[in-house]
Amino acid sequence: MAILEITDLKKSFGPLEVLKNITFDVTKNDVVAVIGPSGSGKSTMLRSLVHLETIDGGSIRVADRYLVKNGAYAKPKELSSITARMGMVFQQFDLFPHLTVIENLELAPRLTKREPLDAIKRRSSELLAKVGLSDKSNAYPNKLSGGQKQRVAIARALMMNPDVLLFDEPTSALDPELTGEVLEVMKSLAEEHMTMIVVTHEMEFAKEVANQVIFMDNGHIIETGHPDQLFGNPQFDRTKAFLNRSNSKKIKRKP
Amino acid sequence: MSIENVANIIKPMLEGAQVTVLLFLIAIVAAIPLGFLLTLAIRSKLKVIAWFGHAYIYLMRGTPLLLQLLFIVFGLPLLPIIGEYMVLDRFTAACLGFILNYAAYFAEIFRGGLLAIDKGQYEASQVLGLNKWQTTTRVILPQMFRIALPAIANESVTLVKDTALLYAVAVPELLHFAQTAVNRDFTIMPFVIAGIIYLLITMTLTLFFKWLERRFTFD
Ligand SMILES: Nc1ncnc2c1ncn2[C@@H]1O[C@H](COP(=O)(O)OP(=O)(O)OP(=O)(O)O)[C@@H](O)[C@H]1O
Ligand SMILES: [Mg+2]
Repeated sequence: MAILEITDLKKSFGPLEVLKNITFDVTKNDVVAVIGPSGSGKSTMLRSLVHLETIDGGSIRVADRYLVKNGAYAKPKELSSITARMGMVFQQFDLFPHLTVIENLELAPRLTKREPLDAIKRRSSELLAKVGLSDKSNAYPNKLSGGQKQRVAIARALMMNPDVLLFDEPTSALDPELTGEVLEVMKSLAEEHMTMIVVTHEMEFAKEVANQVIFMDNGHIIETGHPDQLFGNPQFDRTKAFLNRSNSKKIKRKP
Repeated sequence: MSIENVANIIKPMLEGAQVTVLLFLIAIVAAIPLGFLLTLAIRSKLKVIAWFGHAYIYLMRGTPLLLQLLFIVFGLPLLPIIGEYMVLDRFTAACLGFILNYAAYFAEIFRGGLLAIDKGQYEASQVLGLNKWQTTTRVILPQMFRIALPAIANESVTLVKDTALLYAVAVPELLHFAQTAVNRDFTIMPFVIAGIIYLLITMTLTLFFKWLERRFTFD
């Protein structure tokens, strides 16, 4: 059974229809890359899944429970336990600036999980090691590079043991030379079969790591498929046009 | 002037300084939380509460503190019917005036602090499963406090100096004793001493806030 099932998602901001009948599902251990032009609704779609946006219609099922079914949301008391199955990593990292790295990791588990403190501490140091930042444990975020911040943000999300990890352009705010270290961490998560949805402009990453690519344009899913298929043999003109454009942009960027 | 003379001048002034410091402490300890409640009020989704908060702040910032003090100390008891229950001890009444007035200024400071906090902080907290209370107390307030700290320091120094307004409502404080001594001894010294005492108080305060700022620098 799909761990995430999204059906007929609709969302408008005032008169602007941003999501129009978005439907797809995510199977456990999938890595889904979401690509598409600016303003196509990728962020809005991702944010809807964790209830940072309230949708106008459609359904979102997370494992065996509906966050929203045919436009009707679960009871307020249940909402957070449903979205708790998902973690999210933001473009701007959004670390807590007043807390050290280790405190960033431990704040939410300490406050929300009924779990012994030493288990939390063990996990936080394991996860810091995993993202290669054990030596930064007591540093404050403003002493870290963008790439380090994003790795902390990933570890912070993993602290909650999510079933699905959502990424909204995790490398877009980074200097080009720092994207690699973040993509490496994400790759290793994929190798450990973490289920992930990644909104990204990094086509190489999508080709290499994803096993499903979703191309969105103007609030619709235009095309979805395995990366070999979607990048190698796109079926729709709009997909072709988008891929051509992002290829040529990349070539131009090279000195 | 003999040492004895100076001591005679200084002793009552130090007692007056105690009143000054006491008023300062009471006002700041009460006005800061009250100011924060006001900030919450003006951000309330309930229109009536938000409107009340705005009106209150406008009133307090738009009229002189001295007028407000005179109003509370001498004005309230003149009200028909309820007036006779409004006769407060002058010092208490003055404290009340300072608290009510300064709360409005602190509310504005905190509002600015909240505006400076990125909405990503709220979103990250929500996605990590923190509830509203946890988000407010563990994520937002500490950051707001840090951002507001320099402005709070500034306002506190102003408050120290504003305590001199007690003079106008005839609560004996530092300035009152200075003035008395000047009239009695025909010397300018008491004014100088008063100035020095105010400076010592504000300097201590400034050092304290500098320490706080360093203590809460997150790097
Ligand atoms: N809170 C909001 N209020 C009004 N309009 C919004 C809001 N958030 C997004 N939009 C609009 O919705 C549309 C889709 O935005 P969204 O951020 O989902 O696009 P995106 O695909 O993530 O784009 P990008 O690649 O630039 O991040 C855009 O036209 C955007 O201006
Ligand atoms: Mg976006």
